Amino acid sequence: MKSFPVAGGRSVSLALYSDVSNSRELLDLMQSGKLEPEVAFLNASLVPDVFPVLAAAHKALLSKARESLTTRTLHSELVYNYSGSKHITESLKRCGISDDTMYILAARFDASDEEMKAVEKLISGAEIDLGELESRANQPQILKHYKIPAQELLISTLPDAIVCRIAARDAL
Amino acid sequence: MDNSQDQEHDFGVLLKQGAEGRVFVSTFVGRKCVIKERFSKKYRHPLLDAKLTLKRLNAEARCMTKARRLGVPTPVLYAVDPLLHTLTFEYVDGLSVKDILLGFGSNGVNEERLNDIATQIGNAIGKLHDGGLVHGDLTTSNMIIKNSNNQLVLIDFGLSFTSTIPEDKAVDLYVLERALISMHSSCGDVMEKILAAYRKSSKQWCSTQNKLAQVRQRGRKRTMVG
Repeated sequence: MKSFPVAGGRSVSLALYSDVSNSRELLDLMQSGKLEPEVAFLNASLVPDVFPVLAAAHKALLSKARESLTTRTLHSELVYNYSGSKHITESLKRCGISDDTMYILAARFDASDEEMKAVEKLISGAEIDLGELESRANQPQILKHYKIPAQELLISTLPDAIVCRIAARDAL
Repeated sequence: MDNSQDQEHDFGVLLKQGAEGRVFVSTFVGRKCVIKERFSKKYRHPLLDAKLTLKRLNAEARCMTKARRLGVPTPVLYAVDPLLHTLTFEYVDGLSVKDILLGFGSNGVNEERLNDIATQIGNAIGKLHDGGLVHGDLTTSNMIIKNSNNQLVLIDFGLSFTSTIPEDKAVDLYVLERALISMHSSCGDVMEKILAAYRKSSKQWCSTQNKLAQVRQRGRKRTMVG
């Protein structure tokens, strides 16, 4: 678990889990709104670095402050923003978790230590270091999802290419 | 008390100020960044002003990211704020091509470095144009050579647009040619070197070359008679 300052004194805490066995349960809890504490689950295969997640978090906090969230909650907004797409259902499906997701990045805004411990209890899996993100990322899947052409990777890192798409989404 | 429209925001340290906007240095979730603010023009009708400012802000964000998709280095876009009319992007550490060439003018030309820069410029513009993107403001101050790897980074896509018409591409090149002649004539014929690289990198060189010859004769503006 690690906490990152985002903007205006607000932060986001991230924790990475592998071999998660209860994603169906987590999904049900989340969809019925009974997840306590509220937390965002990202499909970690699509996350090669924390920076794009922080950029998506920055965007979510800004929308929240202006009361212009596109989705229902701040945490679902993070998943939606991370997708770089405007299709909400599809975003949550692909960048969020599904029944059989085993590799999950959990994110919570302004989380206390107790809250992150509660999150750890919710997830049946092994917490691993965030440094594992890069090596465990599914690059072909990322290239396909974000439509990153080979020529772009000659001049850009994978995380930077994702950040550009997150930032430019609403300008398209 | 001012109304919220006139409210001054603290974006960081002012770096440059132009006619359309201001540029600040700041940080974005832990990284050094540049914030470019397009300010509203008080002489315009508020409704028109809001529309124009937002349209141009979005166009710039689109063009910058499109250039990267085409394999042309531009700063990484971090955020777009449609309410404050700001773009946040990566801080690129390096000198502008303008400063480097002016340095050559006063301290003697480093031929090897000049050739490398000219080749990179030609390649970058060739890729942009083949991808249907016109920069619109190609001057040596809108090009930065990154300190870390000597890579050319194109900045300021504020006047960019998408076009596949040879005329637009030729004007793009012509603007650069004029800028080079007026600022950097002491460096020799840099444009020739740039065009040599452009020719190799662009598959549509032939039609652009013909147009460029026409544009050179008549200048940037088309005569609209009759």
